[in-house]
Amino acid sequence: MAAPLVLVVLAAVTVRAALYRSSLAVFIAERVEVASPLNAWKRVVEGLALLDLGVSPYSGAIFHETPLIIYLFHFLIEYAELVFMITDVLTAVALYLAIQDFNKVVFKKQKLLIELDKYAPDVAELIQTPMEMHYIPLKVALFYLLNPYTVMSCVAKSTCAINNSVIAFFILATIKGSAFLSAVFLALATYQSLYPLTLFAPALLYLLQRQFIPIKLKSKSFWLYTMQYASLYLCSLVVIICLSFFLLNSWDFIPSVYGFILSVPDLTPNIGLFWYFFAEMFEHFSLFFVCVFQINVFFYTIPLAIKLKEHPVFFMFVQLAIISIFKSYPTLGDVALYMAFLPVWSHLYRFLRNIFILSCVLIFCSFLFPVLWHLWIYAGSANSNFYYAITLTFNIGQILLVSDYFYAFLRREYYLTHGLHLTRQDGTEAMLVLK
Amino acid sequence: MAAAVPGASRARAAAALLLLLGCCGAALASGPQDQAEQFFRSGHTNNWAVLVCTSRFWFNYRHVANTLSVYRSVKRLGIPDSHIVLMLADDMACNPRNPKPATVFSHKNMELNVYGDDVEVDYRSYEVTVENFLRVLTGRIPPSTPRSKRLLSDDRSNILIYMTGHGGNGFLKFQDSEEITNVELADAFEQMWQKRRYNELLFIIDTCQGASMYERFYSPNIMALASSQVGEDSLSHQPDLGIGVHLMDRYTFYVLEFLEEIHPASQTNMNDLFQVCPKSLCVSTPGHRTDLFQRDPQKVLITDFFGSVRKVEITTETLSLHRDVAGFESKFPEEELATEPLKYAEQLPVAQIIHQKPKQKDWHPPGGFILGLWALIIMVFFKTYGIKHMKHVF
Repeated sequence: MAAPLVLVVLAAVTVRAALYRSSLAVFIAERVEVASPLNAWKRVVEGLALLDLGVSPYSGAIFHETPLIIYLFHFLIEYAELVFMITDVLTAVALYLAIQDFNKVVFKKQKLLIELDKYAPDVAELIQTPMEMHYIPLKVALFYLLNPYTVMSCVAKSTCAINNSVIAFFILATIKGSAFLSAVFLALATYQSLYPLTLFAPALLYLLQRQFIPIKLKSKSFWLYTMQYASLYLCSLVVIICLSFFLLNSWDFIPSVYGFILSVPDLTPNIGLFWYFFAEMFEHFSLFFVCVFQINVFFYTIPLAIKLKEHPVFFMFVQLAIISIFKSYPTLGDVALYMAFLPVWSHLYRFLRNIFILSCVLIFCSFLFPVLWHLWIYAGSANSNFYYAITLTFNIGQILLVSDYFYAFLRREYYLTHGLHLTRQDGTEAMLVLK
Repeated sequence: MAAAVPGASRARAAAALLLLLGCCGAALASGPQDQAEQFFRSGHTNNWAVLVCTSRFWFNYRHVANTLSVYRSVKRLGIPDSHIVLMLADDMACNPRNPKPATVFSHKNMELNVYGDDVEVDYRSYEVTVENFLRVLTGRIPPSTPRSKRLLSDDRSNILIYMTGHGGNGFLKFQDSEEITNVELADAFEQMWQKRRYNELLFIIDTCQGASMYERFYSPNIMALASSQVGEDSLSHQPDLGIGVHLMDRYTFYVLEFLEEIHPASQTNMNDLFQVCPKSLCVSTPGHRTDLFQRDPQKVLITDFFGSVRKVEITTETLSLHRDVAGFESKFPEEELATEPLKYAEQLPVAQIIHQKPKQKDWHPPGGFILGLWALIIMVFFKTYGIKHMKHVF
């Protein structure tokens, strides 16, 4: 399997290199869909230039990257393109290895459940076979590397790629079962952009499952493990934050990075939901609505954890999707990360109800983003409502995609345990609905 | 008889003394007269001019020419560019329809080019709006506005405000899309008065029904002139067939001719300005308003408003600063290599800037940070893979 992966990597690197050399690079780098105030390359360069001039990069409202990114790019700024290409490749390789392991786990669990007779007799067609699962890791790497969103994000040199790679390594570490590494990478991901905090729950659930610790609230081993993992995570987070203090000898980065993410002062349009609301809102209400919007991101973790406690990796996928839809400054790079997971659930295809219309919506919105932007900003014949309409439609498409997959997943699980041909009490065919 | 003669001589002396005293008294009385006169002379220490042309499009060439001719006179009489706020709503000199680019003529047959080569336009094109004009007058300007766009007058400033364009009964049109009313203008002047932004103000307007614009003024020390009364149109002067448009408006044309006679030391007063352009020449009836002005217009000099107290004379002569000192030149032998004069494009070495190597970085991360970071990374590595795996590495 290494050879096809290498081929895919080579193809991806070629595409990116070709785009870097072309004139599209400048155009893509300025697009607001790939470069948000949090991860635009322009701002990284600006911050480093400010440092060279002897001024703290956090003194203005330009630079919102963490000190570790400063350290990374201080030495690598001349090789920036190479760094981003390598980051993408690392993400893809990490996802590849993670999904390979995950497939083994899924297969083992499936075999166990079949032997324990937990499945209904007529669900043979729903069982996943190693044959069809063989190419899934390659497809995942392919989906990530050759996704136009990822390519654009890489050409724009948005540091979202680095965040994606840290999350990919976190997923790899979790699936391999190393709690320590998973906590470290999760701390790094949280340190960079606050929202991966919600991935703590699925990671914990997966590790508990792997250690065969039952998830009961009264179980002492459950709490012990949770405490261990949580303390590993929190300690590494604290250590990283304290280390960042020593880079510039100031705590300036905390309001600049986390205060910025949470309070959303910059209302540059992006593909998210925050900017339009807060541009139109009265000052009086903005604090309330900022809190509401931020809670919205973190809110789905607990219900999903309760529903999906047997399937933590799917939970991770749904959580990643929720983060990239509802975070304060989403970009297409975040979207690309969870879309890379779609091949893992390609067996759900028969249960997806809206996949055609959703893919049409997503593709059309992706094309309409630059069109409406041009009409609004340059031609002056549209206004922000047009662009926000496309943003809303894109996000609705994403939400429906996630909920479609969620429904399909749960439906399959239900069929697996209750049989494919469901009948009601009077013998007619029953329909499964998500309540 | 001897007593009568000294009495008569004493009386004569007393009469002479009285006469002398009378003369002295008269002389002294004229002293306070002079002082009183001095008291009523204008007490301004600096002059400002705000010259506004509010119309755009090629066929409104004459409004730009009007404003530029007042600008020229005011500058010639000594007000420097730093004290003139010139607002032109359109660029006639570089208009593609101008057959003589970089010129704006005021007299036909291209006698007088009022554009010149040292015109400083402060508000140009779409910046000439009612809002900007009122902000200039009242001083409520964003802090980022450059000095050249500000009216930095104080309570000892005499300000000349000249406006021209298309107007109607009570309003003046700006840019073909908005208007300023006489009420707003009066309010702006009152704000200026309350903020002590002028000592005396001369307001001249050359539009149709121009007198309606000064009807509502109520602040003290304002004198106003207009080119036509309410219900009358101000007419344009002469077209130039070579350029194809009317070059000036009548009122301002005759005002310009009047001002050409004025020099910085002349004693011509405002009453003469009121007589400029009678109905026979102007067709419309120029009006003026002096009831708010405290001094007698007879005593107000033209140069109080159109000229500058400093009597600055702008010269276009150049002075050579070379010193022909023998021995001095031997220290600077003619060793310069003959260099070609750089073309414009080469003076901006953009290519050099783009392709230059990144400069030496001045900031380096502190040693403690690097140490701590790498120690952590190595610790994580060892914790994950264990020390026993190190033998595979080495």
